[in-house]
Amino acid sequence: MNTANEIYLDYAATTPVDARVVEAMAGYLGRDGAFANAASIHAPGRRAAAAIARARAQVAAAVGADPGHILFTSGATESDNLAIRGAMQYYRDRGSHLITARTEHKAVLDTCADLHRQGCSVTYLDCDEHGLVHSEALRAALRPDTVLVSLMHVNNETGVVQDIGALGEVCRERGVLFHVDAAQSVGKLPLDLAELPVDLASLTAHKAYGPKGIGALYMAAGVGVSRLQAGGDQERGLRPGTSPTHQIVGMGAAFELAATAPKRNEIEGLRRRLWEGLKTLPGVRVNGHPTQRVAHILNVSFPGVEGESLRFALQPLAVSAGSACTSDNPEGSHVLRALGLGEHLAQSSLRFSLGRFSTAGEVEAAAALVHEAVLRLRALAPEAPPWTRQGQQSI
Amino acid sequence: MDYSGEVQRRFAAPGRIARATEHTGCETTGEAGDRSLGVWVCFHVRARAGQIEAVRFQVFGCPHTIAAVSLLAERLEGEGVAALGRDWARELAADLSVPAEKLGRLLVLEDALRACARHGEQG
Repeated sequence: MNTANEIYLDYAATTPVDARVVEAMAGYLGRDGAFANAASIHAPGRRAAAAIARARAQVAAAVGADPGHILFTSGATESDNLAIRGAMQYYRDRGSHLITARTEHKAVLDTCADLHRQGCSVTYLDCDEHGLVHSEALRAALRPDTVLVSLMHVNNETGVVQDIGALGEVCRERGVLFHVDAAQSVGKLPLDLAELPVDLASLTAHKAYGPKGIGALYMAAGVGVSRLQAGGDQERGLRPGTSPTHQIVGMGAAFELAATAPKRNEIEGLRRRLWEGLKTLPGVRVNGHPTQRVAHILNVSFPGVEGESLRFALQPLAVSAGSACTSDNPEGSHVLRALGLGEHLAQSSLRFSLGRFSTAGEVEAAAALVHEAVLRLRALAPEAPPWTRQGQQSI
Repeated sequence: MDYSGEVQRRFAAPGRIARATEHTGCETTGEAGDRSLGVWVCFHVRARAGQIEAVRFQVFGCPHTIAAVSLLAERLEGEGVAALGRDWARELAADLSVPAEKLGRLLVLEDALRACARHGEQG
């Protein structure tokens, strides 16, 4: 529970579960609910299976897919692993080269690094200073033995939106699989996987007001992946284990609500308001593309302050230094460094991410808190105090 | 990262921050570190007859560094100028529960004090 003086602006890290989603999930937990194992053939089991089928249809509808192309997993990280490791294994006779970008989430980068240690060859694409990966760079990196390209749709730190249509077309031209990490996309911008040249896409519930611990992998018709674990036939045998009915139902409900969420323009307005409040601080800069971006993320650098002190000074404000998944890392964000920021500037950057429950009052209070903290910390170490190197006397 | 109560208190109100208006022209100054490396400290020390009368500082660093500079400035006042060459890092680390991976930052404080001492000797 948030305390009264806390302001939550970290919706890109995770969102609270919508009350309507909680209500939907509650019907699948207790003795009076459809709690049974969905793989069982008795009536309670069939009720649970029917609920899962409904949720699969809800998730599919939200991303423009056929329900038969949706596999439930534990979240986007597992989906990324299943897509990348599974495809490289399944199509190993095609080659062992894969391509990704330096600005990807650790779930993709660490998976690629693992595969590299296992003998795969990995190319990491650079982005431009705004965080965009260009089709020409991808085309130039493709090789005869390239099996897979994995690029994210919406960057979790900067909010930059990649042109996955154009990038996917490059892959299609060359017969290479295209995986998209779309963990930040649902509810933020339209995603029609049936119309896009995408073969695999990772989805998660908890960034869209659903529960943690549940996600999905979209697999286009005719695409295969090898399973990563054994133990049952659930999810076409690719993700064995008893299906978590309540979480799947929660994801379905959340994605249905996300598709109709009316607040996109409102959130864009709040983000502008936040930037209006911050930009009067000398030297601040927005990281990422000025227009090719989602509405809810604002990544700002504050030169002249040390990052850890800035974050500590902003205790009532729940924001991230970069990705929440790498917040313990003392190094500056790998995404911001890929955009060309130096280590110091990358460390003194904050990601503000707004959501369905953000208010104008919160945004204004956040801007005021940041103002006060930045000015206080800058006062501890003015860049060029006029008197420090004058008048040195013997002691 | 956990911060002790003392670190939190000193971070919130460090005290003894150098202000341009306080400058008397009688201080000796010593600095160490580099902002690009995440820590920079500058001490301004006023001494008379071998006794440190006042210490002010500027600091760029993490909360532990800010708290340590504040505590050190307070402790130096009233000491003899020889204290500028003392090893303070372990004492500060213990009193502020500074984690081991940050001990190097406290050595920067010692370097800044020694720079003060050198400037003082050079006149």
